[in-house]
Amino acid sequence: MDQATIKRLVEEVVRELAAQPAAADTATVSKPARGGVTNMTPTTAGNLTISETGDAARGTDPKEVVIALSPAFSTKIHETIIGIPHAAVLKEICAGIEEEGLKYRFVRMYKTADVGFVAHEAAKLSGSGIGIGIQSRGTTVIHQKDLPPLSNVELFSQSPLIDEATFRAIGKNAAKYAKGENPTPVPIRNDQMARPKYQAIAALLHNKETTLVDSSKKPQGLQISFA
Amino acid sequence: MTLVAGVDIGNATTEVALARVVGNEIAFLASSTIPTTGIKGTEANLQGVFHALQVAIDKAGLALHDLDLIRVNEAAPVIGDVAMETITETVITESTMIGHNPTTPGGLGIGVGTTVHITDLDSATPGEPWIVVADAAHPYDVVASVINEASKRLEITGAILQADDGTLVHNRLTTKIPIVDEVRLIDKVPLGMLAAIEVAEVGRIVETLSNPYGIATLFKLDNEDTKQVVPLARSLVGNRSAVVIKTPKGDVQERRIPAGRITVHGEPRGSEVDVDRGAEEIMDAVTSVRAVSDVTGEPGTNVGGMMEKVRVTMAQLTEQQPRDIRITDLLAVDTHVPREVAGGIANEFSMEAAVGIAVMVKTDRLQMERLAAKLAAQISIPVEVGGIEADMAIRGALTTPGTAAPIAVLDMGAGSTDASVMRADGSGVSIHLAGAGNMVTLMIQSELGLDTFDAAEDVKRYPLAKVETVFNIRHEDGTVQFFEAPLPPQVYARVVVLKPEGMVPLDIDLPVETIRQVRIRAKQRVFVTNAIRALRKVSPNDNVRDIDFVVLVGGSALDFEIPQLVTSALADYRVVAGRANIRGMEGARNAVATGLALTWAEEQ
Repeated sequence: MDQATIKRLVEEVVRELAAQPAAADTATVSKPARGGVTNMTPTTAGNLTISETGDAARGTDPKEVVIALSPAFSTKIHETIIGIPHAAVLKEICAGIEEEGLKYRFVRMYKTADVGFVAHEAAKLSGSGIGIGIQSRGTTVIHQKDLPPLSNVELFSQSPLIDEATFRAIGKNAAKYAKGENPTPVPIRNDQMARPKYQAIAALLHNKETTLVDSSKKPQGLQISFA
Repeated sequence: MTLVAGVDIGNATTEVALARVVGNEIAFLASSTIPTTGIKGTEANLQGVFHALQVAIDKAGLALHDLDLIRVNEAAPVIGDVAMETITETVITESTMIGHNPTTPGGLGIGVGTTVHITDLDSATPGEPWIVVADAAHPYDVVASVINEASKRLEITGAILQADDGTLVHNRLTTKIPIVDEVRLIDKVPLGMLAAIEVAEVGRIVETLSNPYGIATLFKLDNEDTKQVVPLARSLVGNRSAVVIKTPKGDVQERRIPAGRITVHGEPRGSEVDVDRGAEEIMDAVTSVRAVSDVTGEPGTNVGGMMEKVRVTMAQLTEQQPRDIRITDLLAVDTHVPREVAGGIANEFSMEAAVGIAVMVKTDRLQMERLAAKLAAQISIPVEVGGIEADMAIRGALTTPGTAAPIAVLDMGAGSTDASVMRADGSGVSIHLAGAGNMVTLMIQSELGLDTFDAAEDVKRYPLAKVETVFNIRHEDGTVQFFEAPLPPQVYARVVVLKPEGMVPLDIDLPVETIRQVRIRAKQRVFVTNAIRALRKVSPNDNVRDIDFVVLVGGSALDFEIPQLVTSALADYRVVAGRANIRGMEGARNAVATGLALTWAEEQ
C-alpha cells in the first residue's frame, strides 16, 4: 500500500465521520483504481440490475440454494476488496450452482452485516437448507439451516484471497451439499500479509456495510439480471 | 511368595501381566497394554517396557521394587516388512481417447464429427458434422452463443470443453448435443480428426464407445481395425462420458512392467517365479518349498531392489550384516493401485494391477538376551528370557474359558501371523508367517489412494458411516442413527470413520460401500489366507481339518471384523475358531504375558 492510498483512505474515514448524518455527500468521491469503495447509483453496477420484490418467503424447492447479500452489496459498494465486480461474483456463484443442475434465489439481509448470520438466514430461507452469505468485500460463508449460526459448512474469511474461480467453486460446493453429495471442501488459500495489507480497507468497507443495517427490516427477495 | 511380571514385547504393543505366586498357586493382580516404543527387539523397546510395568504396578497398588522377577518373551525372532510393486501400466498414444467421469457432463447421446477449435469454426465447411473443442479461455455463455450461431450454418454434433461448464453450455444451446467437460489438457486433443463422443444418463455408463463393435460402427472400421480398438473400448468401461478420436497411430495399451524374478531357496529344492505373474503363482512357488531358508530378488530389478532394502533395514535393526539376513517367509497378495494414465488428457486414472509383498526375517536370539541384560541393569530386578513366544501364547490362550488341548493358536499381530499347536500330550509345533495387520493397512492405503498410513489404519480399524444431515448418519450396514445436537460441520455430508473419540472425515470421494469392500477384501486376502496357510503348516499331515479348535489372539484379533472373517472361513473346514478371552477377562490381549507368568509358576 503506498502513501497515496493511505492518504486517500484517511481522508475518506475523516469525511465519513464528519458527514455521518448526511452520508450522501460521498457521492462526489472519485472512483479509486481498485478496492471497491465507489458509490454508483443503486440500481446499476456494471451490468448488474437489482430490484427488490418484497419480503423474502421461505422456499420449499429442495433444488434451490439461497444466496443472501449483505446490505451494501451492489448498493453502496460494487466491487470486492480486490476489485472483482459484484456482477462477476454473482455470475460465478450462479454458474457453479447451475452446473450442478440446481437453482438459485437471491435475497438481501438488512438485520445484520455479519456474514455468518447472513448465511444462516439464507440457509433458513432455502428449500434445500443450504445458503450462501456474501458480504460486499467478498467474504463468503456456506451455511446449513440446522447448524448453530456461528458454526458453518465452509467459511472463506480472507476476502482478498477469493478470486472468480473460488466463487465458482463455492457455488458448486453449495449445490453439492444441497444434493447430499460428498464434495471436497474448496481449497482455502492463506496469506498472513492479507491482514496487515487489507485490514484498514476491510474495516472501512464493513463500516459502510453496517451503516445500512436496519434491524427491523425483514429479508427482501431480489430480482437480479446480468444484462 | 513371589511377585512376577510377564512382559510381551510385540510389533505394535508391549503387554504386561502381573501375578503373585504362592507355592504353586498363581493369582493375577493387574495387566497393562502400552504401544511398543521402537521396533520390536531393539533397545528402544525398554522405554515402553518401563511404562507398561509402571502402569500395571500402579494398578495393583504396589511399587516397582516389590517385583521379584521379570520374564520377557523370547520375541519370536521375526520382523516383517511390506512393499508394493505395480506390474501393469496403461499408456494412451496420440491422445486417442478421453474417458473420465466429470460429475456433470452436458447433454446426452452420441455425436460423431471432425474436431475443430472454437476459434476456427468460421472456416469450417458446411455439409459435414463437427465437434467443437473449447479451452477455458472461452466462458460458457460465449461458447454457447458461438455454437448456437454456428449451428445455423453447420452441423455441430458435440463439444469438448476444458472448464467445468458442460451443464451451463447445455442449458444455453438451442440444439442439444453431448458435451464432455473438465478435459484438463485440452490443447492435446488432436484437431481435424474424426471423433466420437458419448454421454450417458445420470447413473449410467457409456454403452457404445465401450463396445468394440460400437466403435467399429461409428468409424466404419473393418475387421482388422476392430481388433485394434478392443483395449480402447475396454478402458472406457465404467465411464459416464467418453471421447474416441481416430488418429493414424492412436492406441491404448496395457503394458506389463517387468518387475524381476523372485528366487525361493530351501529344502527339498528351491523355486523361481516372475513377480509380474501375480500373487497366486508367487505363492505357489513359496508353498512348493517346504523349508524356506532364504528369498532373493533378481539383482537390478524392482523386486531385487525391494528385497535389498528389506535386508538393509533389517540389518540395521539387528546390527547384523545385510548378507546374514535371511528372509524365511513371504506373502504375496494381488491388489490394485490407482495410477494416472500415461498420455491421458483428462486426468484419467486407471486401476493398475500390483502385487503387495510382506516378508519376514529371522533375527538371532541374542537380541532378547541383550535386551534382558540391559533391562536388568537399569531396573535392578532379575530379568529372564522365557520360552518361545508361540508356546507362551498357547499357555495364555488356554486360560480362555472352554478351551483345552489339543488346540491351535493363531496369533495375528501387526507384523506377522504366528501359529502353534499343542497336542494333548503337551508337545507342540509353531511357525511364523509373513503378513498381518500392517499388510492390510498397506493394501487399504494403496487401493484407496490414501495419502497417509495413519488414515488407512483408521479405515482398517473402525466402521464407516455417511453423514446424511446435520442430525443423522447412515451406518455402513444401512441403519440410521439420530443425534440430539447438530454434528460438527466438518463432517457434514462426508464419509466418516467412527473412531471412539469421534467421527473423522475421509478425504476420498468414494461411496461407503466401495471403501467397505476394499477394507474387507484386504483383511480376507491377508488374514484368511494366512490362517489357512498357518494351520496347514502346523498340522501333522498338511491338512487344515486335523485341528478342531482354534483360538485367535493378538492385536488384529481385537479388530471388529477380522475374527468373524477367519471364523467363517475356517467353518468351511469344520474348524471351531473364535477370539480368545485370556483369563476370562482380557479378551484377545495379554496371552503371551500371561503365559510367561504361568509357566514360571508351573516350573516352581
